[in-house]
Amino acid sequence: MELREIHNQVHPPPDYNISPYGSQRSLRLRTVPAEDTSAVHFDWASTPENAEEPDEPRNLRELPLHMGLKRAVWQVQKMRVPVVSRWGSWRIKQSKTFHHLFEIAKEVFSYVVPWKRGIQKIGGHFGGGVQSYFLFLRFLVILNFLSFLLIAAFVLSPSIVFRSTGFNSSIPLSVNLTSVDKCLQYDPKPDPLAVFYTYFLDLVSGTGFMEYSYLFYGYYNNTMVESKGFSYNIPLAYLSTAAFYFLFCLICMIIRMGSVACAVVATGGGAVGRYSMLVFTGWDHGLQGDRSAKLKQNNIRYQLQVDLEEERLQRKAASLTLGQAIALYALRFFLNLVVLALIGGTFYGIAEVTQFSQSEKTTGFNGLLLQYLPSIVITTSNFVVPLLCDKIALLEKHSPSTTVILALLRAVFLRLVSLGVLLYTLWAQITCIGETSSLDCTPCGYNYENYKCWETRVGQEMYKLTLFDFLITIATLILVEFPRRIIVDHCSCKLAQWVGRQEFLVPPNVLALVYSQTVVWSGALFSPLLPLINTIKFILFFYCKKITLFQNCQPALRTFRSTSSNFFFLLVLLFGWMLASVVLIYSVAKIHPSYGCGPFRFSPSMWHIVPEAIDMLTSTSKDFLFYIGSQKFSIPLFIISCVLLCYMGALTSVHGKSVALLKSQCKLEQRDKQFLVRQIEELNATMQKELNEPQLPQRDTEQFYQTEQQWNGQNNYAFIPDEDQRLDRLTVH
Amino acid sequence: MGGTASHNLPKELLSEYQELTFLTKQEINEAHKKFCQLQGRETGPNERVSMQNILTLPELKSNPFRERICHVFSTSDRKDGSLSFEDFLDLLSAFSDSATLEIKSHYAFRIFDFDDDGTLDGGDLRKLVNCLTGETDDACLTPEEMRQLIGNILEESDIDKDGTVNLSEFQHVISRSPDFVSSFKIVL
Repeated sequence: MELREIHNQVHPPPDYNISPYGSQRSLRLRTVPAEDTSAVHFDWASTPENAEEPDEPRNLRELPLHMGLKRAVWQVQKMRVPVVSRWGSWRIKQSKTFHHLFEIAKEVFSYVVPWKRGIQKIGGHFGGGVQSYFLFLRFLVILNFLSFLLIAAFVLSPSIVFRSTGFNSSIPLSVNLTSVDKCLQYDPKPDPLAVFYTYFLDLVSGTGFMEYSYLFYGYYNNTMVESKGFSYNIPLAYLSTAAFYFLFCLICMIIRMGSVACAVVATGGGAVGRYSMLVFTGWDHGLQGDRSAKLKQNNIRYQLQVDLEEERLQRKAASLTLGQAIALYALRFFLNLVVLALIGGTFYGIAEVTQFSQSEKTTGFNGLLLQYLPSIVITTSNFVVPLLCDKIALLEKHSPSTTVILALLRAVFLRLVSLGVLLYTLWAQITCIGETSSLDCTPCGYNYENYKCWETRVGQEMYKLTLFDFLITIATLILVEFPRRIIVDHCSCKLAQWVGRQEFLVPPNVLALVYSQTVVWSGALFSPLLPLINTIKFILFFYCKKITLFQNCQPALRTFRSTSSNFFFLLVLLFGWMLASVVLIYSVAKIHPSYGCGPFRFSPSMWHIVPEAIDMLTSTSKDFLFYIGSQKFSIPLFIISCVLLCYMGALTSVHGKSVALLKSQCKLEQRDKQFLVRQIEELNATMQKELNEPQLPQRDTEQFYQTEQQWNGQNNYAFIPDEDQRLDRLTVH
Repeated sequence: MGGTASHNLPKELLSEYQELTFLTKQEINEAHKKFCQLQGRETGPNERVSMQNILTLPELKSNPFRERICHVFSTSDRKDGSLSFEDFLDLLSAFSDSATLEIKSHYAFRIFDFDDDGTLDGGDLRKLVNCLTGETDDACLTPEEMRQLIGNILEESDIDKDGTVNLSEFQHVISRSPDFVSSFKIVL
């Protein structure tokens, strides 16, 4: 029976030299235990032999023996020449070469990946939670850099080359353009006699000399080059690069999330005991320094006390009367309404401000302020509303972990949806709320009066958001965090001590990163150089945050659990990606590209370039592509993915059930063993009584009680007392 | 073996250590350098470095489990926690980046097993919690809290209900923790 086999693997039949990890494969090695036998010392060096294995050098490292024993095992392995076929030996050689190459690749990789030492030092002083933030930041830097390389290779360099060598063959016009004559006018060339400070304003708001540059969509031409067997279609390249960029980011995120998901499937996703988890895995051995160790100890003690307190309160609260329960739920409902009202008010404010700033046209410093108004409102609300939500969540009387998760979810919702509201408002203004037949949008399909080149305008908005976010972070650093530290350190008044040093809170910082990345994704189609700007911004963030961490911050007393939160951060990033991909898909498919600028100027939509390009392919390629796009292919593919998902779900539940079964099996066996031990004791007692009738029975029974307690106190599989010794003791009397 | 200071390890020894541990070449050389520095402070031409000197390493100095770690990895006959270079490499290998979960959980169990009897019983758990929270009077838990905590731990992880946590039960708890591998790390 299967279960018995599993049982025999996990609990091998008792052996006198048994090792506790009997289920692991290892070679037999009998060594003489060097310790004295008076105390119960466990001999970890003896191992049973479970199966004959083909030699695999990697298993040697996984033997939990000390170096001398491992070396002996290695010698034995080397002397043992395995009898394998030619195919077997070729396979072994290939796997060895592969492992060797893998090791070399890992070494090279560890050289290339930046900031390894720095992040290690951060983990040593501030723990795993803060380290996870910096690891996430590094992941985003690498992602943005690789995306920039992708864009530079396929869009930027060809554009630069074609522009400088003067290729100017454009796609032949197949559209009657007389009716849309006025839509073709677009002249962003800057005024050469502008005052100097306008250059600064232009740099910061993306207008003027920055508008007609490689930074924005409007500068790229719809060049299609065909010469000497070399053809390059810039519009198609532009669109495909954007699509591949999104897919690439999605794959990177999924790979990173995958490892956590694997663990969940393998263990059946059962409930985890939080006390055991905290006590067995709570200590971070990478911490260095007395101060961090002490803080970690305080942290763990605080968590344990809070959890124990929570449990005591829960036991009391389980006995809530009906009236109290109703009151509590009513309070929670009301507070949720308050939170929703706050968030709704924020969205309304953002929409109004965006409309206002898009419609007014003033120049100079006031104009700059007006242009930045949406960013200012978003940033302020992202700062104020989560603070209020935190205070409200405290009133709701959830458990501490639920409170943290609720606060985070609300903050995430606020950030991403406020960005969505901004984009929606822009869309409403550009396409006259979707009605392309209304007066403003009639000849061109978009609001020509205000948006001569709407893609560039959207790109500019995203550019401004990115820049503003960066400036605010640096300003907070210089104007808030450093002065706070200086005041707290040098002023000994009570207020300063109560405020205390800055704590590096991980969740708000990570949400800020997710927000920046979502902005970049939304704007990547309209501003191809935005990933490069974001890479530089995140690199500067790394150094600035590191400096502020070491100079100004104290480690948080209540830390965020690092790896379950890693999964949560990536999940939130995925939500941001989905928002950006909605923006991408909608603008590519539905909105009419500008007539006056950009690579898609004469197509009815950006997507249109793809069918045109496919038409130029050979008929077999066309048939193949049509087949992949048709229902005949996609529906079976969808069904197969559903089946795979169900399979993974079933696998998870089966693992969970077998874990539960094995646990109950362990319990039953332990009870059986205790029953048998009691039987043995009773038998021994009666045997002794018969042997020692005339002599002192009292002392003997006392001795038995002692050994019985010793046995019961250390009753487990790994420790089997030497039965020979016991029998000796018995037969002495 | 690396007895004298500032001598590099011979190549065969280096590749043998690479084969038998999870450490890379750089890490082994780095460990050798550090070990020779520690040996420099030893009196006499011993190959082993005493526990006191090992505990001066900044990575171990503030670790509350430092003595247990030395005892677990020490192969000395006198049971004094002194480490030879190979013991030191074993230590670094178990705590390295690429060590597997099984190895780490095995050694974690041995480190937590304060009385070396092969299981974690109430006394071991009590000492473990005291190490985690701090030994001073104001830092440790009240007896009431300690009792509640140990009862909870045993209820959660003692599957066969014998009052102790053995290696399999310990590894069962550890395997569900995504944090363990990254926190059980010491890198020089």
